[in-house]
Amino acid sequence: MKGYLCEDTVEGIFTGVYDAWVSGMEIGHENVRLFLKRQYEPELFFEYEEVFSDADKAEKVARTIRKKISGEAFRRVYRTAMSSQPDRADAIYRFLMEGFRYKEDTLRMLQLPAVGRVFELARKVANEAHLFLEFIRFKQLKNGVLFAVIAPKSNVLTLVAPHFEDRFSGENWIIYDETRALAAVHEALKPYAIARLTEEQAGVFLDKNKEKDGYTDLWKVFFNTIGIEDRKNYRCQRTMMPLWYRKHMTEFL
Amino acid sequence: MEIGQGTAELKEKLRILSDAAKYDAACTSSGVDRPGKPGTLGNASAAGICHSFASDGRCISLLKILLTNHCIYDCKYCINRRSNDVERAAFTPDEVCALTIEFYRRNYIEGLFLSSGVMKSPDHTMAQVYEVLYKLREVHQFRGYIHVKAIPGADMALIDQIGLLADRMSINLELPTAESLRSLAPHKSRQTILGPMRQIQAGIVDSRLSMGQTARLERAYGAKSFSNGIFRLGEQQRDGLGGSAGHVIDGRDLSVGQALEGYGGRRGLVRRERNEIRTYVPAGQSTQIIVGATPESDYHMMMVTQALYQKYDLKRVFFSAYVGINEDSALPAPGEKPPLLREHRLYQADWLLRFYGFRAEELLSEDKPNFNVFLDPKCDWAVRHLECFPVEINLAAYELLLRVPGIGAKSARRIIQARRMGKLDFPDLKKLGVVLKRAHYFITCGGRQMYPVKLEENRITAGLISDSQKKNWQIEHQESFRQLSLFDDMKLEIPPTVEDFHKAAAGQL
Repeated sequence: MKGYLCEDTVEGIFTGVYDAWVSGMEIGHENVRLFLKRQYEPELFFEYEEVFSDADKAEKVARTIRKKISGEAFRRVYRTAMSSQPDRADAIYRFLMEGFRYKEDTLRMLQLPAVGRVFELARKVANEAHLFLEFIRFKQLKNGVLFAVIAPKSNVLTLVAPHFEDRFSGENWIIYDETRALAAVHEALKPYAIARLTEEQAGVFLDKNKEKDGYTDLWKVFFNTIGIEDRKNYRCQRTMMPLWYRKHMTEFL
Repeated sequence: MEIGQGTAELKEKLRILSDAAKYDAACTSSGVDRPGKPGTLGNASAAGICHSFASDGRCISLLKILLTNHCIYDCKYCINRRSNDVERAAFTPDEVCALTIEFYRRNYIEGLFLSSGVMKSPDHTMAQVYEVLYKLREVHQFRGYIHVKAIPGADMALIDQIGLLADRMSINLELPTAESLRSLAPHKSRQTILGPMRQIQAGIVDSRLSMGQTARLERAYGAKSFSNGIFRLGEQQRDGLGGSAGHVIDGRDLSVGQALEGYGGRRGLVRRERNEIRTYVPAGQSTQIIVGATPESDYHMMMVTQALYQKYDLKRVFFSAYVGINEDSALPAPGEKPPLLREHRLYQADWLLRFYGFRAEELLSEDKPNFNVFLDPKCDWAVRHLECFPVEINLAAYELLLRVPGIGAKSARRIIQARRMGKLDFPDLKKLGVVLKRAHYFITCGGRQMYPVKLEENRITAGLISDSQKKNWQIEHQESFRQLSLFDDMKLEIPPTVEDFHKAAAGQL
């Protein structure tokens, strides 16, 4: 049995798929597994090999998925890679095994365990990303920049940023993912970019987040009066907006 | 936009006017896809986006406020009626614009939902509403969602102009029969409500046709193609609104063709501006019916709802459980619980009409005018029509799958797609999102049932009810105490760990 340890990025996982595939052809795909460097537990009878991310190999894998399976399959695999579940790398590998066999029909074959798992993971990520479209709260800083902090479970930044790029094209805005120290930065009328922050830079961001914004109070007034007392239903509210999402939401601060 | 020193005053106004607007049920931001434009603010997505959820669990998608709660009318059910002694306030159009845009920029809201009490006259109020919309769209270039309530009795030209700027318009039907309306809302009449509704419909038809679209609105999940569904072509000619007063407006009947004749040729309903076509009320119109203030049955409500969909091509009909706020001999006493379960059942049935190809007559009848308290309308229909079941998952048509309790539009689609690739069995169905708890009574996979259950009305009903009883109780008794049961483990059950298994195997447990 062979285990491949890859980095937790799309590039890392795709390089892992590439390397694992090569040896899978020799010793059988069922004898190869993918792990993430930070999230694996060593098992007996496994020979581990480290994967060094390689843009060329990752690019080849991405191109092959698009060509051999479909564009939608690539999007689903990408979302799966953004998940926080420890088996995501291996799930992608198993999915691609089926994918290269059944081609564009694969996505519909939810009966297959590998396809079902990727469907499940991708849906979870997509749902979380959608909720962040709803629940991200910007705050206007003194310099006019709109600034938002989020703490998502999945890595949703690249999934939500395009929405705001379209919506707030004329604004300068930053969405900061505090769990991963990543930020989506958008300058008015330009495409957004993802930046990885150092601890020092992150500190500056969090200082900025303490600034006051005059509209937060108005929003709280609205939020608190709009509920109907006779119908109050906190249980339903929690179902629609689970507590952990509320960490950085203006109305609950 | 700066708000300066008037903040405290603005806060007070916002409190009064959002408090006055909260009894309006509709808060959807769906129905229109509008991409952003570089340099301007906003876009809209057809699925709609909620931004928060209030303490009553309802979504907050739009900034739902009244322009003013001054009102010359005296509708008995309304908190803002003339005879009530409540705090009154009025926004200026600029204040509404500032709030909308600044809230929108912070991603608090998806747009504006503007309604209003009637100040001075319907025309005066609608003119102010128009000013707000004009400023938002033309001065601030706002591309977010705007929903406007039309005020019964306002001038037609005003409504047409507003329709070009808004995404959705709605006029509240309030009460399902003309008699109830007369008794509770003496200043409104069926004519002044259905008249503008017809006018907006005609405008939408005009606008859609001139854009090369079908006259009637698009409906999700292929609902227009159901053989027996309410949106089937030619369906609009059927009789509607249960023969009650007011479905003929100033001598014109209501088919789309005639509506076109009546109002047609108004080229003004599509406007070309800055290289962009602006359509008339692109997200369709909606309405709201109050539930539980008057004695109408569920059957009556559903027939009216169906007629509204068919004859007026409404996008949505909203139901609002009556919350007792005013004291009046014609109304339920204040403090009585709003009929939430009834409202819930009506919404469930509304979904069956719009997405599942059911008709109101199938769900209820004169003899059985109200929904089952214990079972949802679909389960209720299914146990009364066991002759249609069991349905074979690997063979049944889409329309038939949709009729099975526990299978929704999405899972039915997935079944159709997945079974092309291979036979489906019960564990697969679970993965596709089918709720087997309800569905297993009514389906077979490869000719086999999941459990050997006889297709007997009483037995199935008992099984279904035991599943849904807790849920129904919770809808009726939200946030109240819960009955203790001897067998209740208070969710303390911890699943056995690996060590437990080892211990059990070694005889240590």
